[in-house]
Amino acid sequence: MITGSVNLQISPYEAVTISTGVVALLLVVTLVLYYALKSRTIRVSDVYLSGEPESVVSRLSPSVAALYWGFMRRFAKSIYNMLISRVHTGSLHDWYKFISSWFGVLILISVVVFTVLKLAGG
Amino acid sequence: MISEIILAVVSAIVFPGLLFTVSLALFTQYIVRKASARFQSRMGPSYVGPFGVLQPFYDFWKLLRVKETVKTRFSMVRAAELLLIVGIVFPISALVFLPLSPFRISCEFDILIFFYMASVMPLVAMVMASLAMPGPYTSIGVSRLLSIITIAEPAFFASIIIPVYLSTRSSGLLMSISGYVNVYQAWERPLTALIMTLCFIAFIISLQAKAMYQPFNIPEAEQEIIAGFETEFSGPLLALVRLLHDVDLAVSILLGVYVFLAGPLPFRHLSVGGVLMLVAKYTTLTLVVTLVRSIMGRYRVEQALLQLFKYSLTPVIAAAILTLLV
Repeated sequence: MITGSVNLQISPYEAVTISTGVVALLLVVTLVLYYALKSRTIRVSDVYLSGEPESVVSRLSPSVAALYWGFMRRFAKSIYNMLISRVHTGSLHDWYKFISSWFGVLILISVVVFTVLKLAGG
Repeated sequence: MISEIILAVVSAIVFPGLLFTVSLALFTQYIVRKASARFQSRMGPSYVGPFGVLQPFYDFWKLLRVKETVKTRFSMVRAAELLLIVGIVFPISALVFLPLSPFRISCEFDILIFFYMASVMPLVAMVMASLAMPGPYTSIGVSRLLSIITIAEPAFFASIIIPVYLSTRSSGLLMSISGYVNVYQAWERPLTALIMTLCFIAFIISLQAKAMYQPFNIPEAEQEIIAGFETEFSGPLLALVRLLHDVDLAVSILLGVYVFLAGPLPFRHLSVGGVLMLVAKYTTLTLVVTLVRSIMGRYRVEQALLQLFKYSLTPVIAAAILTLLV
């Protein structure tokens, strides 16, 4: 006889184990249901390219580098342009100026944090 | 022990597991379609079932049972099927952590396990399944989806984590969804209410991006990149990918109901008032998402990322800083 509900207060490790068991159970049930019910008709065609032949594209999937640079160029366009204009000028002085200014900020932050920790720690 | 196992199996398969969540996901699709149709002076689903409520199920069933799978010589249909089913199963399994479930697990930091199962896994599965059915439009869609998720996912994560921290820091299990009973206290105090408001705004906006609803529907922009990451899916595979989308949305809204709106409170779960309160809160959140979807146009990728950064990531960063001060 099953009545009411069960609330298990357990450790995170046990929780991961039990939830993984639930995933496994549901995976089996869903796979069985899906393959029992799905339509078996399959048609083979060319890749959809709005009527163009497959030769118009060099690759069907983007490389990891393309995904990275796509994101960088689209979203971080201003950062990208700033880096190109300030650092990639061809002059070593520009690169040194940029890098040293950032190092300066980092050193300043670390000095402040160290001082605060020292004061707080007595 | 045996009765507990039976209860766990029933919870996983019937309520709030597979059967309930799939029904809820299809019903959510109905609400979104019907409400957005009414916002745009259209009828929306009307003919299948009372008020057209069975239309999403009929669409799903037709894709699954009748329509053919169109594949190319580059397609990996089995891999895509398996990945999509994994993506559907993980968020459904995560419901064992919600207080809604008769067989319920709770532990410290269970929100992290829930987030991994209900938010990260569906996304990874969807991206991997799309790449298993390659095509140039698919690639562009996936690339856009990944760009948007780079901002939306951290904002969604933070918008959930901060309220859970606020409601569990003084009592109960730390960072557990079971802390939903203290959510009203967080809304009562001015400073924590401000934090909750910032998180709620970020939650709604990042949920819009996760669900790929307007204004963040650029990964599946019709007319431009056909159906984006969905282009090469057809028949049963399209049924699965749409179900995955709806399950992901339904589970995310359900999480929002507990984290921001305190679940069935002030009533108990096993009461008429509790059920009605849950339904009312769930429907309200769904209607808010639908309203935003209906009144906004589509952003370009860089616009979408900038707006997400401004109105989703910035509020949660501000909320995180305020939380450190409280």
